[in-house]
Amino acid sequence: MSAEFSMTVNGRTVTVDVAADETLLHVLRDELLLTGAKEGCDEGECGACTVLVDGKPVDSCIYPAPAAAGRTVSTIEGLVGSDGSLTPIQRAFVDGFAVQCGFCTPGFVMTLTALIEENSKPTERDIREALSGNLCRCTGYSTIIDAVLTATEERS
Amino acid sequence: MEFRTVGSIEEALACLADVGDEAQVVAGGTDVMIQHMRREINPSLFLYIGNLCEMEGLTKNGSHAIGALTTHRHLATDPLVVAAFPALAEAASTVGSWQTQEVGTLGGNLCNASPAADTVAPLLIADAQVELRRASGVRRLPLDEFLLGRRSTARLPDELLTAVTARPPGERCGETYLKLGRRSAMEVAIAGLAVRLTFDAVGNVESAKVAACAVAPRAYRAVEAESVLEGSRLEEGTVAEAGRALVDSATPIDDARASASYRRHVLPGLLVRAVATCRERAVEQR
Ligand SMILES: Cc1cc2nc3c(=O)[nH]c(=O)nc-3n(C[C@H](O)[C@H](O)[C@H](O)COP(=O)(O)OP(=O)(O)OC[C@H]3O[C@@H](n4cnc5c(N)ncnc54)[C@H](O)[C@@H]3O)c2cc1C
Ligand code: FES
Ligand code: FES
Repeated sequence: MSAEFSMTVNGRTVTVDVAADETLLHVLRDELLLTGAKEGCDEGECGACTVLVDGKPVDSCIYPAPAAAGRTVSTIEGLVGSDGSLTPIQRAFVDGFAVQCGFCTPGFVMTLTALIEENSKPTERDIREALSGNLCRCTGYSTIIDAVLTATEERS
Repeated sequence: MEFRTVGSIEEALACLADVGDEAQVVAGGTDVMIQHMRREINPSLFLYIGNLCEMEGLTKNGSHAIGALTTHRHLATDPLVVAAFPALAEAASTVGSWQTQEVGTLGGNLCNASPAADTVAPLLIADAQVELRRASGVRRLPLDEFLLGRRSTARLPDELLTAVTARPPGERCGETYLKLGRRSAMEVAIAGLAVRLTFDAVGNVESAKVAACAVAPRAYRAVEAESVLEGSRLEEGTVAEAGRALVDSATPIDDARASASYRRHVLPGLLVRAVATCRERAVEQR
């Protein structure tokens, strides 16, 4: 039996009809063709699949898709402004060379977007704690942390 | 397979009364989804209870009750929980990552009954009881009796865990939860220890509660270690003796995270640190 439900994705209401045990990640990638969220481990360990559900970061690879019914989902595709402008976190990643292969980047950006929504002036420790579920095999993390610190200092 | 979302506890109980045997309750799904993908479970129905907001948060109404759907993030950050149950809040703050804590729930952690479940030990030292509801009534069980063993609980197929009641530390009392993992984040416990100490007016230990996790098929109260500590002034030798009693009570296994002998080896050190923290907090509290 399949599950039909509606959710709001990046400000748009969408209705999907998917297998009852489908994950939110697969619905986003395969049904809605929003391939920004990545499948890394598929077990909640790496954070490459991080999206926001009702503003909170979740690992979409283990989030039951029909549980998103009636909820608001934000993905990396929804961050960019209509004029193509980047958010301060995205800008900071570009300017701070915080991207290497880029596979982890959408997940990091979504977690950090939620962080600065909660706390516009995070300390280095706040940033490190918030990112404990996002793995990066390339950057060694320090460029990412520096980029966020720079962005949040400039904003205030 | 079917995915059914319920809008009330009554609706959930009616569904469980009907098809409890074939249903898998889904709260956050952080355990269920992985077990399902690995084909460790094969339910014909996912019963999604994640919208039942009446089962969320701490309520003080004579006793302290925590709703089964309270997330780890909520436990770790809600000032009411942090004040009433500091060890539980500490434990919840060590569960997985922010993403896991945002979705994973207290009820899911207890019902999944992993030997390493972080919320169990801090609830055992708080004399926790679980509230189990079914269409035909409600029963309360000490958490100690609810947990039968690794991945095994006393929950019947038609029952929903709705809340956990527990006793906050009283006067001259301090508690803490310490967790040892390979790194400080995103790590299932190699060993976990919850301790609550209550002191009398002159600083002797009046009552000691010690619970350990990840060193036996389920978390348990280390009563021998407790009785060594009781009546003492936490002299070095007494704490060391309690540490040996704690090691004797453990039945750890070798697994991918650590060997059984390593697990035994770290317990006395965790106890030393935990009793020191309890003493500091009991003093602050006065
Ligand atoms: C990456 C990762 C890291 C993790 N790290 C930790 C960790 O450090 N420490 C730790 O303790 N756990 C950890 N976990 C395990 C898990 O997140 C927790 O056990 C969590 O609390 C489960 O809650 P849930 O709501 O997601 O449960 P679910 O997956 O929804 O359910 C778990 C079990 O409980 C049953 N259930 C849930 N709620 C109820 C209810 N109210 N009544 C009856 N039955 C119910 C379900 O049927 C299922 O059997 C981790 C998981 C992941 C994916
Ligand atoms: S793909 Fe979801 S956490 Fe790794
Ligand atoms: S940039 Fe390659 S994994 Fe992070």
